[in-house]
Amino acid sequence: MVADVVDAVALTRPRIRVQGAVKSFSGRVVVDVDDLVLGDRPIEGLIGPNGAGKTTLMRMIMHSTPLDRGRISLLPAGGGDVVLSSLPAHGMARRGVVKSNQVIMDFDKLTIWDSLLLAVAEARYEQPHRIFGERTLFARHADEIRHYLDYFGFADPTAFAMSAGEKKLLDIVRCLLLRPTFLLLDEPTAGLPDELTEKVMRVVRDLAASGTSVVIVEHDLNVIWNLCDEVLFMAEGKVILRGDPPSIRANGTVVEKYLGEGHV
Amino acid sequence: MTPDFLGSFLISGLFDVVMVIGLALLLHLQLGLARIANFGVVGFWGLGMYTFGVLYVQVDWPFGEPFQFLVCAAAATLVAGLAGLLIGWLIGDLDTDGVLVGTLGFATAVQILATTQDDLTGGARGMGGLDFPYDIGRVKDNEFLWLAITAAVVVAVLFYAWRVHRSPYGRLLIAVGGNEPLARSLGKSTFRTKLWLFAVTAAAMGLLGAMNGVMAHYLDVGNIGVGVTLAAMVGLVLGGTARVWGAVVGVILTVGLFDIVIQSYLPLPKEWYTQAIPVLREAAFGAVLILVLLFRPLGLLGDMRRDKLMGKIHGR
Repeated sequence: MVADVVDAVALTRPRIRVQGAVKSFSGRVVVDVDDLVLGDRPIEGLIGPNGAGKTTLMRMIMHSTPLDRGRISLLPAGGGDVVLSSLPAHGMARRGVVKSNQVIMDFDKLTIWDSLLLAVAEARYEQPHRIFGERTLFARHADEIRHYLDYFGFADPTAFAMSAGEKKLLDIVRCLLLRPTFLLLDEPTAGLPDELTEKVMRVVRDLAASGTSVVIVEHDLNVIWNLCDEVLFMAEGKVILRGDPPSIRANGTVVEKYLGEGHV
Repeated sequence: MTPDFLGSFLISGLFDVVMVIGLALLLHLQLGLARIANFGVVGFWGLGMYTFGVLYVQVDWPFGEPFQFLVCAAAATLVAGLAGLLIGWLIGDLDTDGVLVGTLGFATAVQILATTQDDLTGGARGMGGLDFPYDIGRVKDNEFLWLAITAAVVVAVLFYAWRVHRSPYGRLLIAVGGNEPLARSLGKSTFRTKLWLFAVTAAAMGLLGAMNGVMAHYLDVGNIGVGVTLAAMVGLVLGGTARVWGAVVGVILTVGLFDIVIQSYLPLPKEWYTQAIPVLREAAFGAVLILVLLFRPLGLLGDMRRDKLMGKIHGR
């Protein structure tokens, strides 16, 4: 009965299936996932000690780190599987699969407005002959962008993002503007003050409620326990446990390998 | 028609300045925005010039001027654009060193082809028979009108580059040049972007090459050497690679100063004009490049100011 309900929920939102995916660096196996489905629950958390392979797995899904072998597929809500591991890196966002970056990444020469307009710009406006398209593009997307700028309180969006926190937020807003159907967040709240962390969590909840599948890697375990419907515990390149937050939190292996005795 | 103070020598000097400004503006789109270090500018320019020359001289066209010029110039533009597409495809995923070697190699290949394909290009002897697509009287008047037409084309290139900075396309080019993996993660096909940029700018370089052939009347392989790329590159770097007006200011201060002011108004020994001046010119340009990179790497006009531009376009 419970399984039927879960299956019914899963069918309404996209999932990602990882099959036989292996990645090694200098002979050391960093990720070795036999069969894993992400996105069964609206918000899933991926935790594990440093070097467990969480970020590498995320990068493998986005094809920014090529697989040694295996296959990663997108199972869209409407059916019709797409093999992500054969798509070019830019094809992911077009399929609705979007990822925020663990390490701060930005365009040094683009302002905050620039960066967000870049994210929302449709390809037809970015052709060599479309040199008069800026006003149309701006008119189409300004309200949506302003909504996020106001919500997160960017001081001067015509300027460049200066602080690490501002760049981190900008990265998240770029992801949101891509209207993801499957969103991977790699330490999205690292370095953010509590108030902004709360705002990011609220946005993620709203997004998940509207049908987007979210997978979040986060070292701030309060975010994981408060936000996630399911938690996957990864160690030595494999997902060794998955379950609801209380069960993972109480699991002896997780406590021993990751949380430590004092955490529970 | 032609003002009295404009002699043939001055018209020729101004034409060179206008031509190099055009090339530097196109290079600005490649290097200044998308960070593609094209060291083969002269290859596309030369390919356009020789394609135009060969078609103009070797083909017996059933129609006269100006259609002969228009058809040959269009073909030169197309061939240079296709070459840009091919070279862009080859270097699209290479790093800066690979792009440098690839584009330099292409320019060398064009020069070697122009030298060895004797039947078509006249080889090292050169090829004559090119002329203006009109005749309004004196040679000086014809040259002055061609200078004005070429200047109009370069102003159009300047306007295009200026508009690109204010368009979503320009923003994409800056993003591709600034952080390619991040641009890809936003769904941007960076390879295709670079490919089309290369094709369009190479086509325009080819058109400028064809227009240069008309002014020169005589095609000589010595004119498609690395000096053309050097002049455009040095001018752009001096003015500022990231600024549209950097190409204009930089080329006026280098090619303009050397080819017009120094050669026209400094009392240089006559024997220098054949051998010494071209060598001195390249040495001076090389020295300027070194000095700018050492003391003002962003050029005289500095870096692009997107914050000011965005404030101006969309308000604060």
